[in-house]
Amino acid sequence: MADALLRVEDLHAGYEGQNVLKNISFEVPDGSLVTLLGPNGHGKTTMLRCISGLIKPTQGRIEFDGKRIDGMEAERIVARGVVMIPQGDMLFPEMSVYDNLRMGAYLKKANAAFERNVEEIYTLLPRLKERTSQLARTLSGGERRMLAIGRGLLAGGRILMLDEPSLGLAPIVIDQIYDIIRDLKSQGRTLLLVEENASRIIDLAEQIHLIDTGNIVWSGGGEELQSNPQVLETYLGG
Amino acid sequence: MDFFVQIIVSGLTFGSMYALAAVGLALVWGAFNMLNMSHGIIMTLGAYFALLWAELLGWPLILAAPFSLVCGGLVGAIVYFLSAHWMIKQKNFEVTIIIATFGLGMAIESGLLKFLREMFRTAPYSQPLSLGAKSFLIFDVPVSYQRLVIWTAAFVLITIVGIFLRRTSVGRAIRATAQDRNAARLMGVPVRRVYVLVLAIASGLAAVSGIMLSSFKDVHPLMGGDPMLKAFIVIVLAGLGNITGALYAALLVGLVEASVKVLLADKYGFTAILILVILALIWKPSGIFGRATVARQ
Repeated sequence: MADALLRVEDLHAGYEGQNVLKNISFEVPDGSLVTLLGPNGHGKTTMLRCISGLIKPTQGRIEFDGKRIDGMEAERIVARGVVMIPQGDMLFPEMSVYDNLRMGAYLKKANAAFERNVEEIYTLLPRLKERTSQLARTLSGGERRMLAIGRGLLAGGRILMLDEPSLGLAPIVIDQIYDIIRDLKSQGRTLLLVEENASRIIDLAEQIHLIDTGNIVWSGGGEELQSNPQVLETYLGG
Repeated sequence: MDFFVQIIVSGLTFGSMYALAAVGLALVWGAFNMLNMSHGIIMTLGAYFALLWAELLGWPLILAAPFSLVCGGLVGAIVYFLSAHWMIKQKNFEVTIIIATFGLGMAIESGLLKFLREMFRTAPYSQPLSLGAKSFLIFDVPVSYQRLVIWTAAFVLITIVGIFLRRTSVGRAIRATAQDRNAARLMGVPVRRVYVLVLAIASGLAAVSGIMLSSFKDVHPLMGGDPMLKAFIVIVLAGLGNITGALYAALLVGLVEASVKVLLADKYGFTAILILVILALIWKPSGIFGRATVARQ
């Protein structure tokens, strides 16, 4: 595909000489939702950390908007428009909700648009508005996740990567989070989603890549996956 | 009553000086877990910078402190590029940086000893912030205006740093980096620039603290060692990385030291501080204002 916003080619990466990811290639077209699906501990998070620059790939290349970004510092990559909402939220615990959101808009361009954008965020995530002056560490799990999403959105990126947005939340909160993701998708945002639970994304994602022990073992659309119970059973335990 | 006023005056003075030094140490530790062992020599250099400005060049005394603050900041940045910059990604950074900055401090100290000891041995420079010998009375105890200048300077500088950290975008970025370095990077914060800046601010404050110190001690290459030790004690007492805590702990240490010095004898001052710290750490191992979690992500 020529108009891929993000392109990962033959990527190898890992920690301390151990390759967790082997030979990964995939693309995220502009305006689509792509999902990396697979059980925990198989390299999905490593993949996102690699793209966002927190770790460096040992081999392969990552291109964003036609330019190579692998090996760049994380702060430079986000400035190009690649925003990650990390696993475990990684909020600034001793800062207020408002200051956390301010940090999301740290980059010059995002900062200039902050006043306007933050109102949008409050409409999308009204809970945050009620808690602007509360310290992030005093929030509930669901509120934290919403703050992490709001903070990520304020960075004004062109692609948003969400690492297990449902992890550790109660089912009813997961529903809320996925409503938000659905909203974002309908706004035409480009999303790269890491998920463990196939049922959550099967009707949402344009493209699903199944990751198992560091390899992409299956790729296809949501419907394809649904009509392929053997794949589901083998890799995700039904 | 005399005793009481003496204790307060002297305690606040030493406390102010310790506070300026300790706030910087706490800031640097908080931002990137660096215990800067060259902090003391930067205090010394601060006194020398003021001396250079006011005595050797004969420029206005009132600008000696700002000059020293800026020079101290530059030295801090240089210390960063000579040490932390190359080591920050190492696994044992917290330990190796202590050794590296200790060595760096020794090198500067040796340089000063070699070239400057002769120069100033016979020229004790006791009052760079001197306002003549003017003083005023509080309950019959004479208090020099110089003390007032020290208190005000410490208060103003620490307030400025506090406002900077709370209210500006760069200050927010510093706090964010301290709380979660990788998250800050994901927001686009150039963390290495934050490290340089933090070390520069801390060193600028240390330099001013050094000038204060030189107002009751001779300027000497080794003068910063003792107050640095006390500044370290202060941040351990407060809880590493806690800036507001460092301020209160510094005043507490200053007052305890002064009480013991006035009521018992000079030589028991340091012992009293150590006893205070030991008791405090038995009571709260992570420091009076500290949280238990002090670890680098």
